[in-house]
Amino acid sequence: MSATFAEKPARKLFEYPESLREAFIRTEGISFGNGDHVTSAEIWDYMTLEAPARFPHSFDTRPAYGGRLSSDVEFFSGIKRAWFAISLKDRALKASQLGVPLVLTQGGQTMEPYYAAGGIPLRPGLVMQWARDMQEGLSLRESDARGVEILEAGRNRVSIDACNQIAAHAAIDNGVVPIALVAPYLALRCSDMAYLTESHRNHKRGIPLQVVDFPIDQEGKPWAADLVASELRKMVAKIAQLSGKKVTDDDLWENIRYANTARGLAREIHHLVWNAPELPINSSDLGAIPHLANDFQGDPVATIQLLHQIRDEVNARIAAGVRGHGVQKDPKRLFICGSCVGPNQHNVERSGGYCAGRDDSWNLLTLEVEENGDPYQALAESILSYPYEQPTEKRADWTIQAARDSKARGVIFMYQWGCNYQSGVSRMISDIVKAKTGLPTTFIEVGELGRSEATEQSENRVEAFLEMI
Amino acid sequence: MPTTLNTLRKIRQAVDNRPAEIDDLKAAGAKVVGWINYNVPEELILALDLVPVRLGRGGDDHLVEHGSRWISTKNCVYVREIVGLFAENEDPYVKATDLVAVDATCMQVFRAGEVVQHYFNKRIAILGVPRNFATPEGGEYFRHELKHFAGKLEEFAGRKLTRSALADAIGLLRGIRSGLDELYTWQAADDALIAWEEVLDVVQAGNVLDRRQYIVLLRELLSELQEKQATDEIRDKFQDVRIFISGSIIPPGDRKIIHILEDLGARIVGDDIWSGLAPQLDVDVVEPTVEAIADAYLGRVPHGALPYLDLASDRRLANLGKLLERFQAHGVVYHTLRYCDPYTFKGTETKTVLQNKGIPFLELHTEYASSDQEAIRTRAEAFVEMVRNRNLIEA
Repeated sequence: MSATFAEKPARKLFEYPESLREAFIRTEGISFGNGDHVTSAEIWDYMTLEAPARFPHSFDTRPAYGGRLSSDVEFFSGIKRAWFAISLKDRALKASQLGVPLVLTQGGQTMEPYYAAGGIPLRPGLVMQWARDMQEGLSLRESDARGVEILEAGRNRVSIDACNQIAAHAAIDNGVVPIALVAPYLALRCSDMAYLTESHRNHKRGIPLQVVDFPIDQEGKPWAADLVASELRKMVAKIAQLSGKKVTDDDLWENIRYANTARGLAREIHHLVWNAPELPINSSDLGAIPHLANDFQGDPVATIQLLHQIRDEVNARIAAGVRGHGVQKDPKRLFICGSCVGPNQHNVERSGGYCAGRDDSWNLLTLEVEENGDPYQALAESILSYPYEQPTEKRADWTIQAARDSKARGVIFMYQWGCNYQSGVSRMISDIVKAKTGLPTTFIEVGELGRSEATEQSENRVEAFLEMI
Repeated sequence: MPTTLNTLRKIRQAVDNRPAEIDDLKAAGAKVVGWINYNVPEELILALDLVPVRLGRGGDDHLVEHGSRWISTKNCVYVREIVGLFAENEDPYVKATDLVAVDATCMQVFRAGEVVQHYFNKRIAILGVPRNFATPEGGEYFRHELKHFAGKLEEFAGRKLTRSALADAIGLLRGIRSGLDELYTWQAADDALIAWEEVLDVVQAGNVLDRRQYIVLLRELLSELQEKQATDEIRDKFQDVRIFISGSIIPPGDRKIIHILEDLGARIVGDDIWSGLAPQLDVDVVEPTVEAIADAYLGRVPHGALPYLDLASDRRLANLGKLLERFQAHGVVYHTLRYCDPYTFKGTETKTVLQNKGIPFLELHTEYASSDQEAIRTRAEAFVEMVRNRNLIEA
């Protein structure tokens, strides 16, 4: 009798080789802003024993799983970065129990005001994953099914036209995750966030709401920066109300300095990687850095330490001529545009490509906040300068420069189904980049944000594009 | 239903003649400003002696397909059709447009403006709109934006705004809005001589006609209604199911759900759509200045694309309740276009709010293709039947 689905033996999970343990635990640990410290030995044990048992889906190795762990097991700071992401659930829950407000925000936007006000900002992608992880021990397929269940509950309540990030909002409404405030920026990167935020107003849970306006066509308009600065003040006051913190300008400056440091490190790492004779880390390890440097995953102090360790290890690899695991010789580098989604980086590398950069999150790391004057005004002026949020022709020009900096041989604009704003300019950016550089470009719609099944169509298109290059 | 009103025929004739008139005006040196969205104040365009036309049509699947090649299939059909109009360049008003004015109320429309500028070499003027329309900071931003926008229009017109020209334009549009508001009252009367669809046609004729000619026709229409109400034999009474239309835009050319409802014997008695009554309400410009115009537009019924976080004080919903009462509606058909997130995402909430008041609600989610015609008809028929039965029981 053949085994039923439920009886099938568990899929073999990804494992870090025990032979590396000794070398790994000799490396630095990570200290947190609240004084906690985690040793490398604790990180190793977590990633080899605890996490595979609690979150087996994270250790799944099937090719369709775009979020699987980097195969570069000798890139130790990459392992720590993965630990930092997987353990976010525990840190966030602990913080919430201690009265720290967890705030749902927009991805790819600056996070200093949230931390300065005593909160922890979480973008929809993190909340979606966290909501799945509230039930532990799930395989990838079970985790996907749980994610879809949460997502569809949200679509039933709000709209079938909502993009997959509605799962984050549904998880909040249904009390799956203890988010205390929904307070996003209403930037052009996302067409759903404004209306999904508004949709909470009709829910019995009555979660507090706040939005930060994001004026468009903003160049050379001081009144636009004034508006954003006043919106930031209101948001900080709202978070402070929940955290009980009396927020001073010094709190803002401290977090601006953290963010500027993280941005500087992220830029340094990218330029080291792009200009190295051999690409020292693979696409997964590189692609995680902009998100890390942007949103800090709950702790700016720990993030900066981690970025330092990554930078140092990248430097060491370049000096030793090491090529990242999975990276082919002289791969076809791609620059990726668009919100929230990107190609499966493992499969890109398998096909002879390399994801050398993406505009989402990375674009704002290319700017620093001026560290003088009024901190809210300084933040507002920086926010309004994000290349991603400029008029589309200007954004395309920035993309061209970013593609050149990363030595890309092709540009893919990818957007999630349901995203009206990014889809609307995908062709324009692709056309402008192609016309001005001669680089091949394409734009691809996908539906797999937060999912790892039914990804073949987009895989095929990315592979075909790479072959064409 | 054929009209018995002479002025309606005159208005239709005027609309037919308008493209040729605009050609003549352009030959004589006039400049045409084609505007899209919700918050572009025509007062400024008129005061600068520019020719305003409100661009955009619906209901044409071919143009939707054409437009989606340049923008995307994930934009709403109205936005795709706007782009399709520019791509095809056969619409007389699109062809005549010298400057496209776009306000950033619905951001998809703003994106369409970017696409039109890039691919079709149209000159564009953008008016920023705050998401938080109701806050003092949002108001301050909008006043600055409108001054900046007025400056761009002045540069385009080659002249400066004057107080007297602004006063004339404000007075003209005040008269038009008040006339249209009155017309809505006429169509909702039990023994109405004019149907809601005819009123929508009149409103949308005002998108393109010379506004001075338009107000004369509007007044003539109101007088004719007054006269015929007193003397003429009244048309057959309408059916007893009074439906209110809410939700996404219903632009010129899109009559799919309207005709389905009418075929089913329902009578539409009002709307709060942004191509219908909503823009005519609560515009009170207190003095002939750009700042006062900004304040007046801030005071209008807010567009659904501007998120509002407090349900209890939402003026759009309050206005909906007020209009339902004014027009004595028995039920609401909430029309949403595929990928029109501002209105689609509010569908369930609006249903809950209205159900709490005992008002029947039907959401019809559709596109410009005819493939869902019969599915919509089935749902609409069940709804109309349900409302009719409810009315009978209550009677």
